[in-house]
Amino acid sequence: MATLQSERPAVVPAARSSGTPAMLTARGVVKRYGGRLALDGFDLSARPGEIVGLVGHNGAGKTTFVEVVTGLVRPDAGRVSVGGVDVLRSPRRARRLLGVAPQELALYVSATVRDNLRLFGALAGLRRGALHSAVDLVAEELRLTDVLGQRTGLLSGGQRRRTQAAAALIRDVPLLLLDEPTAGADPQTRAALLEAVRARAARGAAVLYTTHYLPELADLGATLAVARNGRIIARGTQEALIAGLPGELRLRLPGAPGVGDLPAALARRARVVDGELRIASTQPPADLAALLSAGCSPLSVDVRRPDLDDLYRSLAAEASHAA
Amino acid sequence: MLPDAACRTGAVIRHNTVLMLREPGPLASRLILPLAFIALLHPLYQAAQGSAAGASQAVIATLVTFSLLALSIVGGSILTERMWHTWERVRMTPVRPAELLAGKGVPVLAALLAQQGLIVGFGVAVLGLAVAGPALLGMALLAWTLALLGMGAAIGAAARSMSELSVIHDIGAMLLSSLGGALVPLAALPGWVRHVAPASPGYWAVSALRAALSGDGAGTLRACAVLVGIALACGLFAAVRAGRGGARSALA
Repeated sequence: MATLQSERPAVVPAARSSGTPAMLTARGVVKRYGGRLALDGFDLSARPGEIVGLVGHNGAGKTTFVEVVTGLVRPDAGRVSVGGVDVLRSPRRARRLLGVAPQELALYVSATVRDNLRLFGALAGLRRGALHSAVDLVAEELRLTDVLGQRTGLLSGGQRRRTQAAAALIRDVPLLLLDEPTAGADPQTRAALLEAVRARAARGAAVLYTTHYLPELADLGATLAVARNGRIIARGTQEALIAGLPGELRLRLPGAPGVGDLPAALARRARVVDGELRIASTQPPADLAALLSAGCSPLSVDVRRPDLDDLYRSLAAEASHAA
Repeated sequence: MLPDAACRTGAVIRHNTVLMLREPGPLASRLILPLAFIALLHPLYQAAQGSAAGASQAVIATLVTFSLLALSIVGGSILTERMWHTWERVRMTPVRPAELLAGKGVPVLAALLAQQGLIVGFGVAVLGLAVAGPALLGMALLAWTLALLGMGAAIGAAARSMSELSVIHDIGAMLLSSLGGALVPLAALPGWVRHVAPASPGYWAVSALRAALSGDGAGTLRACAVLVGIALACGLFAAVRAGRGGARSALA
C-alpha cells in the first residue's frame, strides 16, 4: 500500500508489513540551518534486504538526512537508529554498521585505488588477509582490478565513482547509504554499481539509495521514498505509487489532428505533440473505445504506461501548486 | 591481536605515510635545502661570531627557518583532506578524532624530527657544533616540533586554498624566523624587534635551542613550556575549526 501525502509524512508500509525489524529508523527528524529548514519531520525506515530509493528535488533534504544518519550532522529534533543503535547517543557504534558513499567524490587523489580501499577497509574493521581479499574482491566486482595500482587522480570519472562505491561496499555491513552513487557515471559504471548494490541487498543489507536517475530504481526493484521540503511525502512500492497516475494514449491520425474534434471529456486531457495526438489516460481501453465511437480512425495507437518519471513530474506539479 | 583503536590508528598512520611518500617533493626539498643553506651561510656566521658561536647560530638559524617553512607539509596535509572531502569521509567511519589526529600527526612529526635531526647532525659532524645537553636538545626539538604541528594544523584548518596556505607559510615562516632572532641574532637587530620578539614562536624555539646547546636546563624548560603552550592553543583552534560544520562544509 502506498501513501501520497502533502502534509504529514507517510508511515513506512514496507517496513511495517514485514516481520523483520527495520535496520534504519528515523522519526520526526528536524534540522535547521539558520532560517532554513533542511529537515522538517523526516520519517523513514528500511528493513534488511530492502533497497529504498530516496528521491526528491535538490534541497529536498536527501543529503542532509544521509549526513544525519552518519552522525556528522546533529539534528535539532527527532530520533534515528541503525540496527537498534541510537545514532545521536552512540554515533561511533552506529557507524560500525554503515557503509557510506557520499554524494561528493571523497578520495585521496594522490594515492592509488588500492591505498584508498585499504584505508577504508581497515577503518571498517578488516585486518591483514581479510583486508587484502576484500580489496581484491570488491575491485573485481566493480571492475577496478586493472587500475588498483593507479592513482585515483588519474582515473576517469566513472572509475572514480566505482572506487568511491567500492570503499563503501568493501565490507558487508547491515546498512548502506549511497548518495547519488552514479552521478555522472557512464553506462558501464552504472551497471556495475547496480549489480553490486543488488548483491548486497540479496545478502541482507538495507540500502538507502538517493538518485535523480529514476530508471535505476526500477532496475534495483527499490521501494520509493519521495522527499519534499524536508519530509517524506510519498512512500511505498513503485507499482503502488504509480498505479494512480495517468499514462498516455498516443494516436497518429490521417491529416492534421485537432483536439477540438474530440469528445469534451477527452479533449480536456489531450494535446498535440509533433503531429501526434496525446491523451492522458488512467483507462486507455475505455478512452480508445470512446474515440472510436466518436468516429475517430487512427492510423496507429500506442499506449504508454506511467513510469517513475511521471510520478516525479506529478509530485513536482503538486509541489508547485502548493507553493 | 591488537585492539581496534590501535589498528585504526595504525591504518591512518600508514596511509598518511604513503600519501607523504607518493608526493615526495616537498619533503625532499625540506630535507635537502637546509643542508645547502647551512653549508653556504656557515662561513658568514663564523666570520661574524667566531667558530663555536658561528656554528651554533648557523644550526639554529637553519633549523628554525626551515622547520617553519616545513609548516607547509603539516598545513598541506590537512588542507588537502578538506579539498578532497576525505576528512569528512573518514569521519563517517568508526575512527575516533584522537585516532585520526594521531594518525595524521605521527608521519609529519617524524618528517619534522628527521629534518631537524639532519641539520643538527650536520652541525655536529661537519661544523663541530658542541652540544652540552643532548637530552635537553632532544626535549627542545620535540617541543618545537609539537609547536610546529599545532601551528601547521591551525593554518591547514584555516586556509581556504593552496595558494592562501602558501602565502601564509612562506611569509609567516620568514617573519617568525626573523622576528625570533633565528637568522640574525636579536642583539644585532633594531630595538623594537627585541620588544616584539617574544610574540614570535621562533623566539622561543631559538631560546630553547640556545639553552639546550649550552646545557641550561631551566632556560630550556621555560622555553619548552611556552612552545608546548603554543602547540596546545593552535591544536585546539585546529580541532574546533576541523570539527565545525556538516559534511558539506565548503571551502570558500
